[in-house]
This record gives sequence, C-alpha cells and structure tokens, in this order.
Amino acid sequence: MTQESPAVEVDHVSRWYGNIVAVNDISFALNGGITGLLGPNGAGKSTLLHMLAGFLRPSAGGVRVLGEPAWQNPAMYRRIGLVQERESVYPFLSGYEFVLDSARLHHIAEPEKAALKAIHMVELESAMSRATGGYSKGMKQRIKIAAALVHEPQVLLLDEPFNGADPRQRLQLMDMLRAMAKEGRTVVFSSHILEEVERLADDVLVIVAGRLAASGDFHEIRKLMTDRPHSFFLRASDNRRLAASLVADASVYGVELAGDDLRVSTSEFASFTQAVAGVARRAGVSIYEIRPTDESLESVFSYLVKR
Amino acid sequence: MIDPTILRLTVRQLLGQRRSIVMVLFALLPVLLAVLYALENDSSDAQGWTAKVALGGLVIGLVLPFTALVFGTAALGQEFEDGTAVYLLAKPIPRATIVFSKLVVAWAATTAVVVVSAALTGAIGLSGEPGEGIIAGFVAAAVVGSLVYCAAFLWLSIATSRALIVGLLYVFIWQGVVVSLFSGVRYFSISQYALGIAKAFITAPDDIFDPRLNVAPAVLFAVLVTVGATWLSVRALQRWEIGEAT
Amino acid sequence: MQPADARTGNIYDLGYRNYTGKRLGRRHAVLALYFYTLRSAFGLGRRTSSKIIPIVIAVIAFLPAVAQLAIAALVSDEVDIITPEGYFGFVEVPIALFCAAIAPEITGRDMRQRTLSLYFSRALQRRDYALAKLAAFATALTLLTLMPQVLLVFGNGLATNDVTGYISDNWADVPRTFAAGLLIAVLCAAGSLAIASQTPRRAYATVGVVAWFLISFPIANILVFAIGGVGRYAVFASPFDFIYGCTLWIFGVGAEFESVQEEAGFGLWTYFVAVLAYIGAGAALVVRRFARVSA
Repeated sequence: MTQESPAVEVDHVSRWYGNIVAVNDISFALNGGITGLLGPNGAGKSTLLHMLAGFLRPSAGGVRVLGEPAWQNPAMYRRIGLVQERESVYPFLSGYEFVLDSARLHHIAEPEKAALKAIHMVELESAMSRATGGYSKGMKQRIKIAAALVHEPQVLLLDEPFNGADPRQRLQLMDMLRAMAKEGRTVVFSSHILEEVERLADDVLVIVAGRLAASGDFHEIRKLMTDRPHSFFLRASDNRRLAASLVADASVYGVELAGDDLRVSTSEFASFTQAVAGVARRAGVSIYEIRPTDESLESVFSYLVKR
Repeated sequence: MIDPTILRLTVRQLLGQRRSIVMVLFALLPVLLAVLYALENDSSDAQGWTAKVALGGLVIGLVLPFTALVFGTAALGQEFEDGTAVYLLAKPIPRATIVFSKLVVAWAATTAVVVVSAALTGAIGLSGEPGEGIIAGFVAAAVVGSLVYCAAFLWLSIATSRALIVGLLYVFIWQGVVVSLFSGVRYFSISQYALGIAKAFITAPDDIFDPRLNVAPAVLFAVLVTVGATWLSVRALQRWEIGEAT
Repeated sequence: MQPADARTGNIYDLGYRNYTGKRLGRRHAVLALYFYTLRSAFGLGRRTSSKIIPIVIAVIAFLPAVAQLAIAALVSDEVDIITPEGYFGFVEVPIALFCAAIAPEITGRDMRQRTLSLYFSRALQRRDYALAKLAAFATALTLLTLMPQVLLVFGNGLATNDVTGYISDNWADVPRTFAAGLLIAVLCAAGSLAIASQTPRRAYATVGVVAWFLISFPIANILVFAIGGVGRYAVFASPFDFIYGCTLWIFGVGAEFESVQEEAGFGLWTYFVAVLAYIGAGAALVVRRFARVSA
C-alpha cells in the first residue's frame, strides 16, 4: 500500500528532561509492516512511543504520523490506535461497554457492530458481559487492544504489549498483529526481549541510551553483532611470551602490550575462548586474569553506534 | 461541545462510590443543625442566624467548597490517577469538549447536593419567619458558586497532582483566614462571589445579611474566574504530557 | 555463544550465600522503623519536594515564638505577650495542617506500594508496626509543640535582667508545658493516624483528617452557642476545643471570656479525660487497622 508520505516519520527527534536526555536525535520512517523497538530498559523506547502517539512533545525535531504532526492534533487519533501498559480500564464497565464506548468516542457509524468485531478479534466474547474490574491481567490487556482497534486504525502503537503475557496470549497477539500488518497497516511495538522482536518484527529499531543504534532487518543486525571484534584483557606470568603465542592463533587479529597489561583483539569469540587456555599452556605461561572488556549490551550497541 | 459518552462515563465515575454518600451526609449536617436550632432556640434572630451562620457560613462556606472540591478534582483528576486518561485523550475529540463535559457533570453533582442542603436548611431555619428571598438567594448562590468552584478545581486537578491539598489550603487558609485579615482579598475569594450573588435576591435589611462583596463585582468576578479557569483547563489539557511516574 | 555439541542443562553457583551473621531481632526492628518514620515525617531521606510542606508548617509553628523573641531582644527584657497556654492554642492549627498533610503519607505509602508484607515477614509484629508508627509521628508532633516553647523560655531567660526572678516565677510552668505539649502531640498523632490508616488513598485520608479538625470546629461552635442544651456536648467532638480546654486545665487557668469552653460550662478536667479517652481510642483503632489489613 503506497502513500505520498510515510505512515510514521520521525525527523531528528530529541527529548530531554532538564539534564537528562531520554531520546537523542533519532530519525526514521516507517511504512506498513511490523516494526519492533528493541532496547534495554530505560533506553527511551516508551518515550519515543509517547512522542509518536502525540502524548509527549519533542524537545527538538518533529514527529509526523500519516502526514500530520503528532503533537496537539486530536484529529489524528481517528487513524491511530494506542495500547499502553500503564493504562487501565474503568472497572465498573463490562468488557463490551468498554469497547463500545471507545467506538462511540471515535464517532464510528454502527459502534455496536464494530465493538463486537473487535472483541471477536481478541477472542473475548465469553467474558464481554463481565465487569472489567474482575478481569485477569491478560484479559485486561486484550480488552484494551480491542478498544484500541475498534476504529480500525491505520497505525497501531503498542508499548511493551507482551509484558506479563502468558505464552498462549503472546502467540495469539502475534498472530493478530501479523494479520493486521498483512492488511497494510503499520504496527509499532516495543520490547526489551530479543526473542519476541525476532519472532514478530519485520524491521527492528534498536535503541540504546536514547540513540538509534541499529535499524533494519533483525537477522542482519544479529550477524553484525556476532561479527564484531571482541577485546580481552589478560594478565599472565609472562605477558610478552603469551602475546607472541596468541598472535599466531587464527582467531586473534591484534595484541597490545601496555605496562602490565596485555590486550587482545579477536574477531571470533567462541574460538578464542576455547583456544586461549591451550595456547597459554603450550607456551608455558600461567594466566592470572582474563576478562572481556566490552561484553555488556551497552558496549555492543555503542560499537554499533560508532559504526 | 458536549459528548454524551463522556457525560455518562463521568457520572458513573463520580456517583458510583462511597464518596457520594459521604458528600450527601455532609450536606445534611446544616439541615440537622437547622432542625436543632428550630427546636431549641427561641431567640427572635432566626432570620439572621439562618442567613449568616447556617446558610452563609455552613452551606456556602463549608459544604459548597468541600463538595465542589471533591467532585471537581475527581472529575478529571481521577482519570489521571487511575490511568484511564489516555483512553479518553487518544480519541479525536476536541479537548474543549472533554473539559466542558466533565465540568457539566461536576457542576450538576455539586449543585444537586448543595441546593438541596441550602433549601432545606433555609426552610427549616426560617420556619415561621418571613423568607424575604433568603432561600432563593442562597440557592442561586449555590448554583453559581458550584460552577465557579468546579471550574477552578477542575483546572487545579490538571495543573497539579496534589489538587486536593491545594484546594483545601485555598478554602480554609485563603478564604478563611486571609480574607478576614486583608479586605482586598475578597475579590479573589469564590465564596465571596457566591455570597454577593445571594444578596441580589435578599430583601432583608443589612443587619440580617451583609456580604463583603456587592452583586455587581460578585457576578463580574464569578464570570471572569469561570471563563478563565475553563480556558486554562482546555489549554492545559491540549498541552498535557504523559508523566514519568505519578 | 558456546558451540552446542551436547544438549545439557546446568545450574551455576553464582556465589549466593545465606546470611549466617547475627540477626538483631524484634526490638531493633521496631527502633529502626521508629527512626525511619520520624525522619520521613519531615521528608528527610526523600525527594526535596516532600520536605517543603513539613518545613513550611514548622516555620509557621515557630513564627510567634520568633516574633516574641525579636521583641524581647529589642527591649532587652523578658516579654510576656504570649503565654505558654496561649501558644498551645495557636499551634493547634499548624499541627492540624501537619497531620492532614503528613499522616496519609505515614500510613498510606506502605499500603499503596504494598510494602506491608515486607515489614510483616520480619521479626516485626503487626502491633509493633502500628505502635512504632504512632510513637514516631507523636514524636514528630512533639517537636512542633515543644520546640517553640523551649525557644521562648530560653530566649526570655537570656534577655531578662533578673534571671533568678525569671526562673522562680516560671519554673512551675516547665513540667506543665511539657505535659501539655506531649498530650497534644500524642492526641493529634493518635487521632489523625487512626483516620488516615483507614484508607490507602491519600486524598480520602487528607479529607478525613481535615474534617476531624477543621469541620468539627465551626459545627461545634454553632451547636454550643446557638443551640445549647444537649448541643453543648459537641465541644467534646471538636479537637481544637477540647484540646484547648485540657491545656487550660493543665495550667490551672480558667476558661476565657465568651469562649466555647465557658459557654459549654463543663469543668475543665473533663477535657483532660476526653483527651485521654481519644488517645486510647485512636491508638486502639490504629492497632486494630494494622492487625486486620491484608498485607
């Protein structure tokens, strides 16, 4: 489905709170399909989603959804659906009434039909006459999704939708999102779990410490990550002798001696970790300390960012 | 400008709780006192007591602001506290419509409670004495005062998360203590607007009831505060941003 | 990222050890909770914004003392504008505001954030929790009732020309001031915590405490003055009134002219009894509430 402008367009967007920068100069454009926002907790995924949804004002840059600015634009919600984790339901309404009122507030013609259709999509017909105050957490999540879908939005934004979902709910939700993407809608969801994003998203936006660390096809990025050079820090009984032996090994592509430290760069993590003990023993050197210097997800992504 | 769905939701939110029963009981206190007064007291100052103490002091001075505070801050504030605000705001509805709908419900709920309280208290307190417009005056004061208070407290609930305490400080410290110390403050006291409006209907002489504000400034300021607070509310809602944590 | 040659599962010893040191027991837990509550009543150990209200109210409580001291310093002699019992009459208002703002925090935060189960799964009993909270809040209020008085006494003592005379005139007041300040603080703590602990919602708790202090006052006023008869008993339902009556009794001073206490006509000792009764009832309610609340 082609449009003149992308469904979601983010242009050099930043958001700061005083001294803290939550989102740092992010730009991307989305047009249909499922996109996953991946990153550790506190990376800025929720902040970014809130800006896409028009509930947070960018400190710099602009967010456009379906061609219109997102901030201070209530008419935009006609074509956007938003599902948030922290949001809750009116406990005194039944599931059906909750979705029906959502339909009415969207000024849909025939709100009753739309409500029933949305409830059918999340498979909650059996519970729809019960008050939502008595729903389980998973049911509340599903009825919120139904309320967000009832007006058949072009763009759907979900903030950590799989948090706390049991395996069956997760599968069902994924199927539903895939069906929506097939219809040509744009789905954006956030998660800090690689496997979820891997399973569901066509495209991935990796966000670390507020910055866009990687974007594009998930598997390509994954490969890039394992191909990155690793750096280890060693202390041995004879650093120089160990260095000479290591540089002969195929997995090592650089050694560096600095004072008491020996730093080794390797491109193959697995082979190096297996080989290093044997190399040391054959060289007659005892290793006192060995540790990777950049193993955290942070450093991985900072590598990606520097690239 | 008013959305029926929001009206219905707000009505159910405000009235379906213990809180509304407590408000009704509270509003019956002046009535109870009026009954006791009518039974026990045989002084000839029923008019003055009813107008100044029971209606002016208790109903307009205590029951009205308290009820408006509870309903006015809850109308929108409860949505923020419970987390249902996004449900309402992620809809293609003009923010002004949301504010007006909430205000109408808060105003109606407050007025219903306070008008009944005023009418009963007045009727019982005055029993036998000529009315001289006292009941009509205070009912009007209740209606107008409800609107002004609810508009102000609605705005307060958007502007701060501690709207209830700020409102209490306003009612008890500002309107209670500061007004009696500095006479200029009466132009900024909503209860004085209400009392001034009551005066318009009351034909009794001044020693029975003499509020600090006359009718004209009372009406003017009531209109100004209502319109101003509502406009501020709409603006604040348009600029509303999701907070990090409550 | 190890090559998967064998499909095995392993659980690794990450160095988790049980604590085998000395465990300090119930008394220590109670004291720890007491001091923590005392500090958090004034916002210490929390965000800056939660210090504002306690500090503002504390400043208000000190104002008359500071004012009288300033006058005494200028005049270079003792000044007696404010009597100890008169000061207690004034300080009731800041105390009421302090209770309305802080009591919901003291009891409500643990209930809202569901940390009660953490407390109760320790050596701390439910009753210990309730009483520790009560004692801490009472201590905090005692600081507000007594510190200004201390300031007054010392200040006047330093400013006066006749130190021994000043001491001999006023020394009898010291135990009375202490007793009154303590009673007022404990009563307000017991009452406001009893109300605030009934609900985790901060708004309801605040309104409840405000109602107990500030709404009963004008209503009792009406009942006593305008209605009389049975209505006079309303004076026992209004904390401002019966606290002041008790204070007057402690200082051996009669009811003021045209005051509620005079109009009600009860002997001032009855207010002392009322204070004790309220303290007992309030404490019992707090203990009962925390004995029953589901953690």
